[in-house]
Amino acid sequence: MKLFEYQAKAAFAERGIAVPERRLCDTADEAAAAAAELGCPCVVKSQVLAGGRGKAGLVRVVASVEEARAYAAELLTGTLGAAHGVRKLLVEAAVDFARELYLSITVDPEAATALVLACADGGVEIEELARMSPERIIRERVDIDVGLLPFQARNIAYALDLEPGQATGFAALLTGLWKTFRDEDAELVEINPLFVTESGTLVAGDGKLVVDDNAAFRQGGAVPSREYFDSDVAFEAALEGIPYLQFDGDISLMCAGAGLTTVVYDLVNYEGGTVANYLEFGGPNYRKAVRAMELCLMNSPKVILIVTFGTIARADVMAEGIAEAIAKLRPRCPIVACIRGTGEEKAVETLKAAGLQPLFDTEEAVGRAVALAAAPSRGTEPGGDSGGRP
Amino acid sequence: MSIFIDRSDRVLVQGITGNEGSFWTRHMMELGTAVTVGVTPGKEGQSVEGVPVYHTIRRAVAERPADAAMLFVPPRFTRDAVFEALDSGLKKIVTIADGIPLQDSVQIRKAALSCGARVVGGNTSGVISPGLAMMGMFPYWIERVYRPGRIGVMTRSGSLTNEVTAMVVRAGFGVSTLVGVGGDPVPGTRFAEMLPDFQDDPGTDAIVVIGELGGTMEEEVAEAMLSGAFTKPVVAFLGGRTAPAGRRMGHAGAIVTGGKGSVADKIAAFEKAGALVADRPRLVGELLVRALGPRS
Repeated sequence: MKLFEYQAKAAFAERGIAVPERRLCDTADEAAAAAAELGCPCVVKSQVLAGGRGKAGLVRVVASVEEARAYAAELLTGTLGAAHGVRKLLVEAAVDFARELYLSITVDPEAATALVLACADGGVEIEELARMSPERIIRERVDIDVGLLPFQARNIAYALDLEPGQATGFAALLTGLWKTFRDEDAELVEINPLFVTESGTLVAGDGKLVVDDNAAFRQGGAVPSREYFDSDVAFEAALEGIPYLQFDGDISLMCAGAGLTTVVYDLVNYEGGTVANYLEFGGPNYRKAVRAMELCLMNSPKVILIVTFGTIARADVMAEGIAEAIAKLRPRCPIVACIRGTGEEKAVETLKAAGLQPLFDTEEAVGRAVALAAAPSRGTEPGGDSGGRP
Repeated sequence: MSIFIDRSDRVLVQGITGNEGSFWTRHMMELGTAVTVGVTPGKEGQSVEGVPVYHTIRRAVAERPADAAMLFVPPRFTRDAVFEALDSGLKKIVTIADGIPLQDSVQIRKAALSCGARVVGGNTSGVISPGLAMMGMFPYWIERVYRPGRIGVMTRSGSLTNEVTAMVVRAGFGVSTLVGVGGDPVPGTRFAEMLPDFQDDPGTDAIVVIGELGGTMEEEVAEAMLSGAFTKPVVAFLGGRTAPAGRRMGHAGAIVTGGKGSVADKIAAFEKAGALVADRPRLVGELLVRALGPRS
């Protein structure tokens, strides 16, 4: 789970990394008070999880308290902020900087180490750097058990052309970032830009911290809250433990297995269809068909497309769940079902009894779903009826 | 022929008394796998499917030597279980756990590399040589998927494996060995590390690689082809071609990060190396026919 900038910076500051003076604000009045306290110019930054905040107009240097208040109001109560789900602002003291660097820690899956990435061209997204000038990225592998050693920090510091005095500060900062990476069970920690100020100190201009959901059990396991999700349905799915991604098309995917669901998503796009949501109800969730269909229906899809090929997630059990969901939820949209795997003979009988015509080929099922989504709406006919009819 | 596992490997099952452990122990044995000993802390003296259970791996292998360890252990205990197996000198380990913490998986792979062991998984169904033996959870009784034959399969996805392997069989082929390396960002064993075994296996004529967005494992296979280290025909199928950038699709490992891992990059690497790339599951069978000639 990606955390907000203000959370990442709090984690950095806790471990001795310099971050700008800052205040977290929920209202325009608070933002104005923060600007007055920190002094202008200062920076007003929307706390959203999406990247590219600058380009989207969600970050601005403001010259006065009045401007801070007006801009904060636009973000917290205006259409711009609403479009991006802005709920909180970070007001920060502006930093006079001489240079901007890039610095992150992630893992190297092949070498089985941690990996520090650094670049003298900060402020640019790493994806952009990797594409435009991969030779300028500095890589230092760190043994995850031994931890970061001082020579490694020196390797990076001098490769970044830092002065000897700055290199010492850099080593301390990188040690703090390493601690954050390990203590927080992070998948990624990133400072971009990392400012080198006129006086030669290092200050984290931005902060990214992606923590590992799989390690939540040993990290105090905070319950996910709505602000981390881009839709109500995505939030409800997360509470249920159902893998879900929100899109805005016509066809709700209610599939099993990450790999297969991803391919069904591809096939729908190939056929010219559009996906309303990606949802997996396989694995530990294969008895949750009713809840899964309920989530799909929250998107008012034109079609629900069910594709599975399960082993432990038994086909017969999933089919029974689907029959129960149809009886209970009475969906008005057609349902296309292609359920295979353990117990598939019984699954076919169950689906037929529920008024569906089960298919056996994924590509045929996708083709059917896309055709149904493109057809003019058939109004009030209940879903089970129109599903698999040729 | 097979790689990784055959009927002569004595398999220890860690977590044998659990629901999954006991269910799949029965099926591994039914297929012909030599499951010889089991472990569940606190349950020594019990037996599952006639297999004696011990408290620890050390106690188990002292009584009944084993060559391989099959772990049915929850993700939060997987690091412990893998290190326990390595500590007893086991060199082939399969872990199905879905949800191993990322930094644990780095430590697991590092430990395996440093002692010359092979850990397959997590987040996988395991390894199967149809008609012979398996370590993992495969519905080998579904004949339209798990037919013995001469095609090696490597995959990052369980559900997609059934889908794609059914197309291999539909085209008249069968499977020599199927290795699920798993859907995690740091799998214990990478695609390219299985290639020497498939290269040397006289029972494998060609391989199918079932990959997806994220990471660089597919590119490493292409490199092995270009360097001449792997010379058999390769058919690749890749999920996530239309996935939006920066979003994780399904598997934890299925995300483009640091400018690496797009399906477009993988296709380009494969095509440059001479692999045949299928854009739909159905095409996998057709491309195998193109590479090897038609089958009955």
